[in-house]
Amino acid sequence: MSASDEEIHELVRQEAGDCLQRMESNLLALESGEGASDEVDAILRDAHSIKGSAAMIGWQESATLANAIEDRMERARETGSVPLAVIDPLLRAVDALRRAVNGEKGVAAPLVEELAGLDAGGDAEAADASAGTSQAQGEQAATPRPAVERVPTIRIDAAKVDRMLDAVGETVLYHRRLEHALEGTVHEGRQVSDELDMGERLLGDLQDSVVQMRTLPLSMITSPFPRAIRDLASEGGKEAELAISGAETQLDRTILEGISETIVHLLRNAVAHGIEPPEERESAGKPRAGRIDLRAHQRGGMVAIEVADDGRGVSAEILARAEEAGSLAALLSETGFSTAEEVTEVAGRGVGLDAVKRSVEGLGGGLEVRSEPGKGTEVTLLLPLTLALMRVLLFERGDQPFALPMTSVGRVVAVTDTTSLGNRPSIEIDGQVIRLSQLGELAGSGGKLPERPPAIVVESLGRRLAVVCDELIGEEEVVIKSLGAVLAGVPGYLGAAILGDGRIALVLDPNHLLKTPAEAMALDQSDETVERSPGQVLVVDDQFSARELQRSILEVAGYRVEVARDGREALRRIGENPDLDLVLTDVQMPEMDGFELLEAIRADEEHASLPVVMVTTLGDESSRRRGAEAGADAYIIKNEFDQEALLETIERLAGR
Amino acid sequence: MSGGVYVRVRVAAEHYALPVEQVLEVADLGEIALVPGSPPEIVGVRNLRGQVIPVIGLATMLGLSGDEPSRVVVAESGELRAGLVVDAVVDVGEMPPASEQAESDYLLGAFLVDGELIGALDLDAVLAPVETRGAST
Repeated sequence: MSASDEEIHELVRQEAGDCLQRMESNLLALESGEGASDEVDAILRDAHSIKGSAAMIGWQESATLANAIEDRMERARETGSVPLAVIDPLLRAVDALRRAVNGEKGVAAPLVEELAGLDAGGDAEAADASAGTSQAQGEQAATPRPAVERVPTIRIDAAKVDRMLDAVGETVLYHRRLEHALEGTVHEGRQVSDELDMGERLLGDLQDSVVQMRTLPLSMITSPFPRAIRDLASEGGKEAELAISGAETQLDRTILEGISETIVHLLRNAVAHGIEPPEERESAGKPRAGRIDLRAHQRGGMVAIEVADDGRGVSAEILARAEEAGSLAALLSETGFSTAEEVTEVAGRGVGLDAVKRSVEGLGGGLEVRSEPGKGTEVTLLLPLTLALMRVLLFERGDQPFALPMTSVGRVVAVTDTTSLGNRPSIEIDGQVIRLSQLGELAGSGGKLPERPPAIVVESLGRRLAVVCDELIGEEEVVIKSLGAVLAGVPGYLGAAILGDGRIALVLDPNHLLKTPAEAMALDQSDETVERSPGQVLVVDDQFSARELQRSILEVAGYRVEVARDGREALRRIGENPDLDLVLTDVQMPEMDGFELLEAIRADEEHASLPVVMVTTLGDESSRRRGAEAGADAYIIKNEFDQEALLETIERLAGR
Repeated sequence: MSGGVYVRVRVAAEHYALPVEQVLEVADLGEIALVPGSPPEIVGVRNLRGQVIPVIGLATMLGLSGDEPSRVVVAESGELRAGLVVDAVVDVGEMPPASEQAESDYLLGAFLVDGELIGALDLDAVLAPVETRGAST
């Protein structure tokens, strides 16, 4: 058992301990006649949650016993009463369950049997039976618990640790200010600076300790991955194995929560776009089964998480273009989800990498991609150890300080002339026209800008934008605080920092600033139109399983779905239903294929503007090109795990 | 709705009451940082002894005019916490049972004290996260 597994077990043990304690007091309340249906429900809930987590980590005995308790309580709920005679066996079952979750073997079976016997034999009979056994069982329960080797732990409310980290962060900043203030004013400088250095080291240690309190191992999220990868590969007609190393690497709890979806995304990408079908691999001299590595380790002050596959890699042409774009990561994350405009771009690798980059940068990290044609691809996520401290550039606008993360700041320029780009004020820097941010307008009372105001150029994902301000304050490391639950829904902020003078600087989210006005509008619209009648989508596919899968994905997302088995049937449905919002069609189908269907739709005046999304197989460049020429609105790669991308695309095109 | 101990505040010409156990403290307006992009009833955020507290304009929220903001009443409901801008804190005292009739989404009902109607604020609604505000109406 690895250390990290043990940590998970410890967590389950602690949770079960809480549940068991509640169960015990609820049972005692029932016994004393105080309890009612609330207590029964509470016991059911606790038994159920122990059953779930125990089963998840393979503690079969505990799961079975929890299940037996749940069954008995279920019966109590149905009959509306808990006979006194069953409370004693239930209490003993709770006790046995406690021993089982602490690693004792063979304690569950007798009680499972006894609880089941209570059900079969009727309550009165059971009362006698249990009275007889209770003595013996009671003695057994009194024997000392076997010592389970474990590090002593205490449980602390996460918010308390956060507050402590806040306080430590403030102290570090205070210390820095103190250092700064004493610099040059002290005569016996040497001695004072030694003391200050000592203080800094101690504070650093303290900060590290608190940061570590907030961390959890990566293994918290990785346990389901190997199985999921195997299944995913076999569904796609491939073979793939996932090897995980460094799962014990510790990450900030908040970062761990924020990154799990991204890692899953990368793993899916590796299976869907990296690993080749077995035959192709064999003919390339590789083992039939692809290998995907998920590795985590500390790199300097960051944690690196790598997802590497030994699949086909990107083409030499893309590598050449990556050099122009600056890096492979920059090139691949330029292209969004494959839309018609991008149809000839980046085959097989760029899917959703912009989203990956966005989420990593949102956490203050970075993205690296390496790939070799025919050999494989490696994506590295570089993540900070903690979210609490961030280096920012502070500036003033409208008598109010704001901050931008230094990782997103390209450069600072003085604005001389503004031009207009699509009716928006813009500036020209080195021959490139850059949109000016609307922050000034949003800040309202911002007032007139000074002559030649400074502008901060924000860069990410190949997009640039200039934020004009009244005055730059400077670079500083700040403690990021949340704006609180009430304002969590206001977009555009990473949080707030309290400055040395007590003022609050809002920390802007660069990714939100860089959204084009159209994107921001689309977001607003989707918010407002939630209550409109559901969109209607026609799914066209000759394969039953594919059709039904797409149908269920769309229906779960709230769409009304019609299906057709080929182009001809699809055309008939389109003719019958004027309310269709979008057609999602396979390419290869008997009778009339996807292209013919698309051409027929575009040729029909009445339906020429109906959005059509083509579902293509991997790396099928020629059909993408042909579809683009015929006027397809978007492409989706056949991969049941890209649900999110599918829904995003459909949502965008169906105008919901 | 039963009575209890309430903090009575004045906003423009109207009086409102908040359950005392949900009021954390009363502070002056202080320096409030604007939050561009937030709804109009959000005045901004305030630094309260190192904590960042959202500040809600009760007058805007309740559709009142002629208010003269002078105090921030910090209130909480579960995990939600914010400062409410009021003209004055009138007193703290016992309220009789309230009527259940609410004329606004932000009121639970009204107390009748000495012939004067005092709105019982629904803090769950007043402190609701901004993205869900209005969705329940």
